[in-house]
Amino acid sequence: MQQVVQVTNLSKHYKNIKAVDALSFTVNEGDVYGFLGQNGAGKSTTIRMLLTLIEPTQGDIKMFGLKLNQHRKTILQSVGAIIEKPDVYKYLSAYNNLNLFARMSGIHPTEKKLMQQLEMVGLKERAHDTVKTFSQGMKQRLGIAIALIHDPRLIILDEPTNGLDPQGIADVRNLILHLSREMKKTLVVSSHLLNEMEQVATRLLIIDKGKKLVEGTTAELFDPAQTLLELDSLNNTEALLLLQNSAWQTALQPQRSNSLLLKIHRNAIPNLHVWLVQQNIKIVSLQSRHSLEDYFLQVTSSGQHVAAFTN
Amino acid sequence: MWQLLQIELYKIFRRPRTYIAFVAVAVLITIMQFGLKVDGQEYADFMLQSLGNFDVQGKLLNGYMVCYIVLQLMLVHVPLLVTLISADLISGEANIGTLRLLMAKPYSRTSIVVSKFCAVCVYTLLLLIWVAFLALFVSVVIFGKSDLFLMKNEYIVLIRQDDVFWRYGCAFCFAFVALITVASVGFFLSAFAENSIGPIVTTMSVIILFTVLGTLNLPVFQAISPYLFTTHMVTWKEFFDEKVNANNEALAGTLQNLPHIIHSVIILLIYIVVLVSATVWVMKKKDILS
Repeated sequence: MQQVVQVTNLSKHYKNIKAVDALSFTVNEGDVYGFLGQNGAGKSTTIRMLLTLIEPTQGDIKMFGLKLNQHRKTILQSVGAIIEKPDVYKYLSAYNNLNLFARMSGIHPTEKKLMQQLEMVGLKERAHDTVKTFSQGMKQRLGIAIALIHDPRLIILDEPTNGLDPQGIADVRNLILHLSREMKKTLVVSSHLLNEMEQVATRLLIIDKGKKLVEGTTAELFDPAQTLLELDSLNNTEALLLLQNSAWQTALQPQRSNSLLLKIHRNAIPNLHVWLVQQNIKIVSLQSRHSLEDYFLQVTSSGQHVAAFTN
Repeated sequence: MWQLLQIELYKIFRRPRTYIAFVAVAVLITIMQFGLKVDGQEYADFMLQSLGNFDVQGKLLNGYMVCYIVLQLMLVHVPLLVTLISADLISGEANIGTLRLLMAKPYSRTSIVVSKFCAVCVYTLLLLIWVAFLALFVSVVIFGKSDLFLMKNEYIVLIRQDDVFWRYGCAFCFAFVALITVASVGFFLSAFAENSIGPIVTTMSVIILFTVLGTLNLPVFQAISPYLFTTHMVTWKEFFDEKVNANNEALAGTLQNLPHIIHSVIILLIYIVVLVSATVWVMKKKDILS
């Protein structure tokens, strides 16, 4: 599988602050590469270095097998990006903005192509309205159209769901999946929204204070033996008593809310379900808790720099 | 590069703000022409009164003279209008967030910066052509043609009407260089800012400071005066000074001090080259954080 992005020992220092510290990672062709970290972790700085907006203090970036500092123009012709907010020229229409940025990317699309692109992001009806009349979600969709107009091989989306309502977030998620699965694009997506990343990313990199904490596939990052299960029934007190006097006793976790928490192997969940039904517990819900969130909090707060997962 | 210049011009001329300068110039010149049409004769009589017993034949208040009066006033204010655009070119994009998109495109930063500067040159040229059209051609239509009579500080200049037009042509070309110098200052400052207010105000402050320094009659300031661009911006007036022969007769088609005009142009060009080069250098080194 071809390596689309290869970052080696990348650092960016501002006086005494290490915004990015000896970061190395690889993005393979076809990946939806989730770039996770808390605010200020160094995600945007790294992405800006990938787009040559920030000069690295040290390190090496290769894209499509070429060194970025030597083949900037060639590489950037194959990259589309949204960097934080989707800022465009507010006094121009969506159509004119798209046309303008297409020309900046070195292509001269036909009117049909421009309208197709706007249709893809649901802006065809508003194509000739000035952007100043657009909502944040519409600007974000226009930003995505701009990032894709020159048919790039690599798409970099920095916090693409920032400022969006739930519908907008879902739209972006679906678009990312469409770009990856249908259009076979490689994507680097940075976010601090863990559940969103878990739904779209094929590989994840978690950084904290500019350093890499973990890198790997979503499956690799979670231990199935440590699945956290949340149980809610019509009588949680009775359920708790039964569990405390059963073989499931060791799986019980301290309660964080009215629900009961158990840490068990993923494969044991159906057995527990059957057992609870046999004990006549009226189950309202039984769901595995978001393990990535727990995992993320664990690795970012522990400060341990876990060795990278490798395939 | 040509593609980038087209894009920059498109952005400039699609902004409503761009046309404020054209409207402002039209309003100001029209008001001045109206005033001179209504009360111009009184103005001319007052001017002649200060000369004592002086008999002038012909049409004193003609289109050429009106143009000169307009330019004397306008060329103080047009730099402000040019600064509104030049000081906004980089900082304005940083402010609205499009600078990062632009700088992530497959063009070198040098090309982007130089194309922006070329775009402001085109804008300035068009604004100056608009000023020339209104101040010279419209004035000639309204007030007619005649010899140009000018009162300078220590002498009077009388230029035959068939010797005037080319002088205005040269004066406008010179004004273009002077305005581009002001634009370069605003352009350079805009590389450091993330909104256009700072560079615009700073450019105007620099112009005021340099003008004050250049006019203060103190040896310490007079020593630096020849190096200030504001000192040379008013040299356009020297296109309306003729040489005189031994009998103190004006020689048509001549300029009194051509070397001084060339010297001023060179100083202004040095400012332009240094400031634009510095802008390119700053932008090449700059981390785009906006």
